[in-house]
Amino acid sequence: MLQGSKKLNKNGVSYEIDLHVNEVTVAYNNGHVALFDATFDLSAGTICALVGVNGSGKSTLFKTIMGFLTPTHGSVTIGGKPVQVAQKQNIVAYIPQAEDVDWAFPVNVLDVVLMGRYGYMNFLRIPRANDLEIATESLSRVNMLEYKDRQIGELSGGQKKRVFLARALAQRGRIVLLDEPFSGVDVQTEAAIIELLRELRTEGHLILVSTHDLGLVPSFCDRVVIINRTVLAAGPTHDTFTQENLGRAFGGTLRDLRIDHTDAPDGTSNEFRVLSDDEEPLIFGHDGRLVDHWHPEVDEEESE
Amino acid sequence: MIELLLTPFYYEYMVKAIVVSGVIGGVCALLSCFVTLKGWSLMGDALSHAIVPGVAVAYLVGLPFALGAFASGLLAALVMGVVKSKTRIREDAVIGIVFTTFFAAGVLMISLFPSNISLKTIVLGNILGIADSDIIQMLAISAVALLVVGLKWKDLLLFAFDPNQAQAIGLNTTRLNLMLLALLAATAVAALQAVGAVLVIAMLVTPGATAYQLTDRFGRMMLLACLMGVVTSMLGAYISYFLNGSTGGCIVCLQTIVFLVVFFFAPKYGIVAARRKARRTTDALLIAGDAQPVPALRGL
Repeated sequence: MLQGSKKLNKNGVSYEIDLHVNEVTVAYNNGHVALFDATFDLSAGTICALVGVNGSGKSTLFKTIMGFLTPTHGSVTIGGKPVQVAQKQNIVAYIPQAEDVDWAFPVNVLDVVLMGRYGYMNFLRIPRANDLEIATESLSRVNMLEYKDRQIGELSGGQKKRVFLARALAQRGRIVLLDEPFSGVDVQTEAAIIELLRELRTEGHLILVSTHDLGLVPSFCDRVVIINRTVLAAGPTHDTFTQENLGRAFGGTLRDLRIDHTDAPDGTSNEFRVLSDDEEPLIFGHDGRLVDHWHPEVDEEESE
Repeated sequence: MIELLLTPFYYEYMVKAIVVSGVIGGVCALLSCFVTLKGWSLMGDALSHAIVPGVAVAYLVGLPFALGAFASGLLAALVMGVVKSKTRIREDAVIGIVFTTFFAAGVLMISLFPSNISLKTIVLGNILGIADSDIIQMLAISAVALLVVGLKWKDLLLFAFDPNQAQAIGLNTTRLNLMLLALLAATAVAALQAVGAVLVIAMLVTPGATAYQLTDRFGRMMLLACLMGVVTSMLGAYISYFLNGSTGGCIVCLQTIVFLVVFFFAPKYGIVAARRKARRTTDALLIAGDAQPVPALRGL
């Protein structure tokens, strides 16, 4: 497991932040095995999606990579070192899910971003000019500088997400873990987050995104790890994000729509499929009105 | 008149009571900020009761009461941690079971082996009869607690706000958790003689809860809570002289009065301010013509 740490990638950047998940099994106290024999490798300059159904061990894997859980078997190493060592060097930055944050906490935006600098501060955690400068710069990079004195609960969903992105930036974490970054976020923020992640990739960060938004994955993730209690498939998005693999991971939980344009002018088969784990989709007929749950007689009475 | 107001200061025991109450009130208030934000008020309640058997044992074998109390409090916290991780019982039920067991053991011991401590003193406190050696113990505990909070409050703040981030940057969260528990147990011990095991919980919650409604910055919250803790505790001890009533009762009632005033009149989060804001918004919408009058909202 250690030999990868000194190799150079194509840009000449050292592979120091290689993430190796090696035969990891995690069992909880009650005997439940949440993750079994999971193995995959990731290197710097990558955006990787982590997908799987609820209860597939996604968050267990996340917590193990962050060192919150210790594998009962196997190991997670970052640059050949145990996670706990990497954490002390501020390598791992983490962006929590919105539900995991107490938004009524008496801290403002700048306070939160400065928390990303704790690892660099002295024993008393008193920010130096340099820390303030980096925090300010991180805030302006996510367009949140003007809100720096706001209490965090007074922000919109997208703004809240940006604050925690800024904290990860301020931490200068080279491995960035995002837990469901697109939930409760508007389309504009979604695009801004993806743009920022692409920039971080160019700068040589390794980004791991746990997400439900399957449709977004191919648009910005180079690699995908698909899990269901174990790693079902891991590799480049194009080869791994296939109908077959997703079918194995999600079983019948995905909505599978076949759309067939039989009236295509050249007569060739034009069928394509839509896989979605979204909740009830809206389906419109050719006249632009709702189908499926359409009750014309009720509607007629209420429309005037 | 002035002569009358100054009388408590002519008695050494009153001066001691006022000073000691003030110190302990301040330390408890500092801790109360973490207790309210971490949702640990039940834990504080539990620890303050769980120290009772420790006090009983310490008196029986002739050790300093603070030592026994502190050990007993930490043992209770440890037992809670073990029971919680090994069973499927919810945390509040675990806390409930463990602290009542400890408290019952303490009550039983005191009743079986009568010594010079009475259950009444432990449960209700007796700051006026406090011995000089106990004052030294309490001041020492307070000094240590103040020092630890003063040095480590930012780490404790991160631990309370986002334990995952604390761990992700390599802080030892197990140690921080233990540190906070130990601080809580220690201050509960210190406050035991001032207000007793039952009212300690008020001093460990009310100032923090009050200050929380006044500010959005944690540093300011600690300052406000501390100020409130010191002033209400000293004033409470002072007033109790004139009322000839329980010191703990006076202190906690004062704190409740401050809490209520803030609850209604806090500039941003008070009830009055919230209503005023709702009315203004409604009026603005009405003027803009965006909304129809809604009788229920108008009545606010």
